Amino acid sequence: MGLNTPEIELLGIAPEIALVVGALFILIVDAIIGEGGNKWHLWILSTIALGVSIFLAVQAWGSNELQMGDMIAVDGFAAFVKITLAVFALLTVWLSRSYLHRDGIEESEFYGLLLFAVAGMMLMASAADLIMVFLALETFSLALYVLVGFRRTSLTGQESAMKYFLLGAFSSTFLLLGIAFVYGAIGSTQMYGSSAAGAGAQGIATALVSLPAGEFTLLVIATGLLVVGLGFKVAAVPFHMWTPDAYQGAPSPVTGFMAAATKLAGFAALIRLLDAILFPLRGDWRPLVIGIAVLTMVVGSVLAVVQEDLKRLLAYSSIAHAGFVFTGIIASNDRGVSGSLFYLATYGITVLGAFAVIAVLGGRDERRTTVDDFRGLFYESPLLAGALTLFLLSLAGVPATVGFVGKLVVFGAAVEAGYSWLVVVGVLASAVAAFFYLKVLVVMYMQERQEGAEPATSGYGGLATGVIGLAALATVALGLYWSPLIDFAERATFFFSAGG
Amino acid sequence: MADTYLQVIFWAFFALMAIAGIRVVTTRNVIHAALYLVATLLGAASMYVLLYAEFVAWVQVLVYVGAVVVLMLFGLMLTRAPIGSANFDNNQRLVGAVCAGLLFAVTSFIMVGAFEGQEIDFTGTEGTKVQSIGEAIFSIYVLPFEIVSVLLLAALVGAVVISRRDEGRVDS
Amino acid sequence: MPVAYFLVLSALLFSIGVYGVLARQHAVLVLLSVELMLNAANINLVAFSAMLGEAGVPGQVFALFVIAVAAAEVGVGLAIVILIYRNRRSVDIDEMSLMKW
Repeated sequence: MGLNTPEIELLGIAPEIALVVGALFILIVDAIIGEGGNKWHLWILSTIALGVSIFLAVQAWGSNELQMGDMIAVDGFAAFVKITLAVFALLTVWLSRSYLHRDGIEESEFYGLLLFAVAGMMLMASAADLIMVFLALETFSLALYVLVGFRRTSLTGQESAMKYFLLGAFSSTFLLLGIAFVYGAIGSTQMYGSSAAGAGAQGIATALVSLPAGEFTLLVIATGLLVVGLGFKVAAVPFHMWTPDAYQGAPSPVTGFMAAATKLAGFAALIRLLDAILFPLRGDWRPLVIGIAVLTMVVGSVLAVVQEDLKRLLAYSSIAHAGFVFTGIIASNDRGVSGSLFYLATYGITVLGAFAVIAVLGGRDERRTTVDDFRGLFYESPLLAGALTLFLLSLAGVPATVGFVGKLVVFGAAVEAGYSWLVVVGVLASAVAAFFYLKVLVVMYMQERQEGAEPATSGYGGLATGVIGLAALATVALGLYWSPLIDFAERATFFFSAGG
Repeated sequence: MADTYLQVIFWAFFALMAIAGIRVVTTRNVIHAALYLVATLLGAASMYVLLYAEFVAWVQVLVYVGAVVVLMLFGLMLTRAPIGSANFDNNQRLVGAVCAGLLFAVTSFIMVGAFEGQEIDFTGTEGTKVQSIGEAIFSIYVLPFEIVSVLLLAALVGAVVISRRDEGRVDS
Repeated sequence: MPVAYFLVLSALLFSIGVYGVLARQHAVLVLLSVELMLNAANINLVAFSAMLGEAGVPGQVFALFVIAVAAAEVGVGLAIVILIYRNRRSVDIDEMSLMKW
């Protein structure tokens, strides 16, 4: 008898372990230090945990193996996503410190839950078994439901948390049903399948090779359900209903984090599933994903035009951006994968910067987030107006910003794969999108400030300024000199077994 | 012959679960809805017994019926839901019914087609031993098991944070 | 006994759950419907596990994980429900319309 334990290699999950340990440490330290003080230890400890996590994720760069009983894939793809996620989380932590401190709601649990969420997202990126995908998704979702409702005294915040929770729980049942169907179809939930987990262990990838053609009906249906479940998380139309409400009511740093990191994590699982594992079935899933991509780009861009609230406007813009990432997935060639990664990384930095500006300008309790509140901003604080301009231009995809490079890369991949018409739809959607970004700019520069309006910037810390500065710097620098990051994304390859 | 008995039992529980399930989503009394859910969950547990998955069946009874539903009842009581009958449905009932009906038709058609002729062989089986489940959890599924514990911890911290009372201010 | 029987049962429960999510207004009742859907998926998993016989252990392990996750989800969900009730004296989802479009 005796247990047939898997080989325990911690390098693959070391970044996640660092975060979970960090989160526990923060909760305990705060309980010991207790109330009072200005709680500077919280963001310092979070920064240290994330720094260690990045360091450990870099160590795993270059590995190419399945670990922990084939549950996780330690490959370049996972390493890229993990490092990017940790960078997003770092920016979020610094911004949150300023934000929470100003609003007087700084609690250790915020940072703890944020680190739990990042750990879940990282596991999602390296999941090599559908069980892992489900559990990782639930881990970060549960943490995010709470973070969205973290402004407990705000009625909009509560409403957002409720809607996000109910629709999130609803969507994850579809993912679960999809996984159950996969299990029924191939008798396993492994993605790759190899000999390590015992003889005869099948995975989706090996099943696609061994099963005769025409036996894939169930697997195709299951793929559809998986796409629906993950589509909810990345806010793809028609599964986007929660997005504007959740984005508007959540604290701005959390909104930025969701737009950047949740999207990246959800897409990481989708890209691995569709472009690596289910690549042989691409003829079957492409029509569905193309439909979703077109709807997402068009609906996101068009509905953004009528928005009055800047956070809602950016929510719809984030939906449209999900559509652009889908074009890279549909291409399903090497450039499509690396392009999608590049797009997600750069979009994340930009949108985090934009929400940082909103967090600073929104004032206490986020009372000032409508587009009208930004009237004449340029005359009051030209630097913040300039930074927001830069972010919006990048989101619109104007040359010399990184948003332009991102679009160029994913659209280029789609053209290469023969989907020029999809690119035409994408470009048209971008043109519509440019309209509402311009609308905000016009309000900021061309209109007079309202009489008696509150001063735009009251009591934000230097950390928030630093985040805005870093994001702005990255937006311009990567817009002019993008090759290192693209190079990095191109070398972020999937796990491949030595035999095949 | 044993198979005939099993089939009779199966269809009896099938009917029970179908009726109780439909009542969960149609009853006008919230407490009844939770109690009908108990009936459905117990039905599912008996299905697990039927499928020789006793351990899952017991966990289902203990965790689901014992904890989750009691939690739900607490939730209903704490939010002072009207105990008598009241209308809890919105005007999407027709849309919902059409969606659900279509989903059911399509899913069962596909599943029956895909698994036609696949039988569960109950002869000579003793079911899955708890030992083999334990071995699986602590060998190849050790990482998912750990993640579940992190998930439960995150949920615990989250639930405490969100239900903590704030003195004073509520803004609109 | 044909596996398909169990799969039809699962499909039925899942559809009932979908109906409940679409048609119910009370937040806790929506949560009850989601539980129905999770159970439907679990019945699928255990049925497939029985179909696979000796090799079917992973299905049951997964079902156990799902039960644990469902319990965690309910905990967080009810905390949110109670938070909302405290401020609004109602947990009607259709009344939650501070935000539109």
